[in-house]
Amino acid sequence: MFFRLSGVHHANYVSDSRVFKIPADRNLAMFVFLFGLAAPFIVPSLYLNSYMLPWLIWTAAALGLNLVTGWAGQLHLGYAAVMAVGAYSAIHAVRFGIPWEFALIIGGLSSSVIGSLFAFAALRVKGLYLALTTLAMQFVMDWVLTHSPAITGGSHASLQSPTLALLGQEITSDAGYYYVAFGWCVLVTIFMLNLKRTGLGRALVAVREKDFAAAILGVNSFYYKILAFATSSFIAGVSGALLVATFFFLAAPEQFSVTVSIQVLAMVIVGGLGSIIGSYFGVALILLVPGVVNGLFSTASQSLGMQINVETLAHIPNAVYGALIVVILLIEPLGLGKLYGNIRDYLMVWPFDQLRK
Amino acid sequence: MRLLTRALTVISMLGGMTAGTQVLAEPFKVGVCYDLSKAYTFATPQVSQAALDLAKLINKKGGIGGEPVEVIVRDHGNEPQRGIECYSRLSREGVFVFDTLSTPVSLAILPRAMEDGRILMQSLVGRGDAVDGTVFDWVYPIGPTYWGQAANDVAYIKQLHDGDLSDVKVGFVYFDYPFGQEPIEILQTLSEKEGFELELYPVPLPGSDQAGVWSKVRRDKPDHVIVWMLGGAHVVASKEMQRNRIPMEKYISVNWLNEVDIANIGNEAAIGLKRGTNVVGGQDVALRQEMITELYDKGEGSGPLEKTEDVFYNTGLAMYSIVFEAARRAAEAEGLPITAQSYKAALETLEDYDANGLMAPITVTAEDHGGGGKTRIEMWDGETWVPQTDWISEYSDVVWDVVKESSSKYGE
Repeated sequence: MFFRLSGVHHANYVSDSRVFKIPADRNLAMFVFLFGLAAPFIVPSLYLNSYMLPWLIWTAAALGLNLVTGWAGQLHLGYAAVMAVGAYSAIHAVRFGIPWEFALIIGGLSSSVIGSLFAFAALRVKGLYLALTTLAMQFVMDWVLTHSPAITGGSHASLQSPTLALLGQEITSDAGYYYVAFGWCVLVTIFMLNLKRTGLGRALVAVREKDFAAAILGVNSFYYKILAFATSSFIAGVSGALLVATFFFLAAPEQFSVTVSIQVLAMVIVGGLGSIIGSYFGVALILLVPGVVNGLFSTASQSLGMQINVETLAHIPNAVYGALIVVILLIEPLGLGKLYGNIRDYLMVWPFDQLRK
Repeated sequence: MRLLTRALTVISMLGGMTAGTQVLAEPFKVGVCYDLSKAYTFATPQVSQAALDLAKLINKKGGIGGEPVEVIVRDHGNEPQRGIECYSRLSREGVFVFDTLSTPVSLAILPRAMEDGRILMQSLVGRGDAVDGTVFDWVYPIGPTYWGQAANDVAYIKQLHDGDLSDVKVGFVYFDYPFGQEPIEILQTLSEKEGFELELYPVPLPGSDQAGVWSKVRRDKPDHVIVWMLGGAHVVASKEMQRNRIPMEKYISVNWLNEVDIANIGNEAAIGLKRGTNVVGGQDVALRQEMITELYDKGEGSGPLEKTEDVFYNTGLAMYSIVFEAARRAAEAEGLPITAQSYKAALETLEDYDANGLMAPITVTAEDHGGGGKTRIEMWDGETWVPQTDWISEYSDVVWDVVKESSSKYGE
């Protein structure tokens, strides 16, 4: 009904390598994009600023992690540390007098260098051992941040971010911050959408499925793993820098701690490994749902006049949120992206498909 | 996307419902965005219960300027983005006084509060240099900074040694992250100034393994050990001290040690243990007694009675006595409704205010947003906290040097 898929498809290479193979997908993406563009005029500033903005930046970050975990199949438990490298180097670059445009790139590149340096050592081992090594990188970074005032700034290790300015324009309004985040998220999304169609994307998938089989096919798995780490670290670095520049306004070690690393990984897993739309859903669930559920419960208890102890009230949403993750992963272990895919596939040629059964 | 828009509609619908039922008069509201579910739960339940109780008591007595007051408690799970969300949401509901009782969240909110002109109370958490009112206009960390608290601990040790610290060895056991590292600089400065020997003992988080630290303490034999740790880490420390035969009298804790920790250490074993504090410990406090007769005896308390038998409950009473006293003064001076401006002005009129003997007297000025930073040392005698000193605020020149040096870097 919505998707109107009929006739013969994928008859030639051009149609098979399109980003959106079905018009409905493209239209939906277009609609979401336009909604995103119009959001500052439609969405109340509270939701724009405290929900949509962090959601978009974290989605960009999660997509970066999805590249290394979902596409290249390498478990990464130190992603927040890589984001921290980007954030701190970008801020220091700006404080040194470099314009933000370049500072963001410097942030991305330094993340890339540190991320792939670590990958160089880490990739000598595989699977769970790799996961542990990346976790070690997180702890090393935590230690470095809490012990070097030169990097992390003075009192309570908080480093003020200078005002964001792009293309000679100082950005201080809510809408401005939002568009920066939106632009970055769109860029990363387009990159990831196209990754599937490139040799690099196919090589990464080959490495993920079986690295020595890939090697037999002539794919240098070590090289592609490093490349995946470097690319994803670049995305992480810029995302980390933008997170501080548009949302936190100062960088503190707690913003990039090991719990954050695990949260990003949870976003990717709940969203669906290797799924782009899944990353959007996953971030929404992990990042926003706790706050939303919390708000719902406190408003509900308030309007119903219930006398619930504040502590109980704080723990109920956590339980609900935890249960939600378990239920979702029970229904669809491949994550929210796959859940969306199932619905889409079901409706693909609806109702004719159903008639046949 | 759809999930979000649907969630947004549900919220806005619910929001609409509550807006409809709201009373006409706009009460004075305090935004209590606390971590009630993660890292700070050792203190937040008691403190928020105190805040709610205090609001109830004030409303029973007719509110402030004839209007009731409201305390809005929300959980942020110690996550900066949820803290920001709480701050933004409550700001739009007309709240202009906030407290987070969480350092990461306080840090995240501070730039926004400074920008928006809303009051951020951050007693005992957040960046210490925010006491400098000339830089941090809208931030009021009323109470001691960790720098001031550490300096007062040294002053107490000096008293014990009749003013001569030249042969004294002081150990500093601390969590090896910004919270614990903060006093180091001031202790080093004072060690040079007073001539005592300072030994540093970093404890890796989460503090469950301190065996190496305390055997080192046994070897070095410091005369006193100043401790910057929280919650369960005190219990681990006490076990290790017993193992190494280090008497409990040497232990001088940061203010974050309460009756729960005492019970876990063991009441007998904890005798002699000391803590720095800016509130009076124990239950023999006028305001707490009033809570019991006015609320808890009538079954109107905001939580279980046991939680009021906790020094963090007193801490909460102290923090929110200040919040409401300032509101009362603002209403008196400039009438209702209270604005952020009039509230700020009222805060700065507080002079030697001690909430009826509940806490160290505070004097807030436009320059000193910390209220003087007085603390005293109390000792656990097996039943209650016994004060060892008067309310003191020593070495304030040294402390303010550190404050100024740090605050001057803000906004660079």
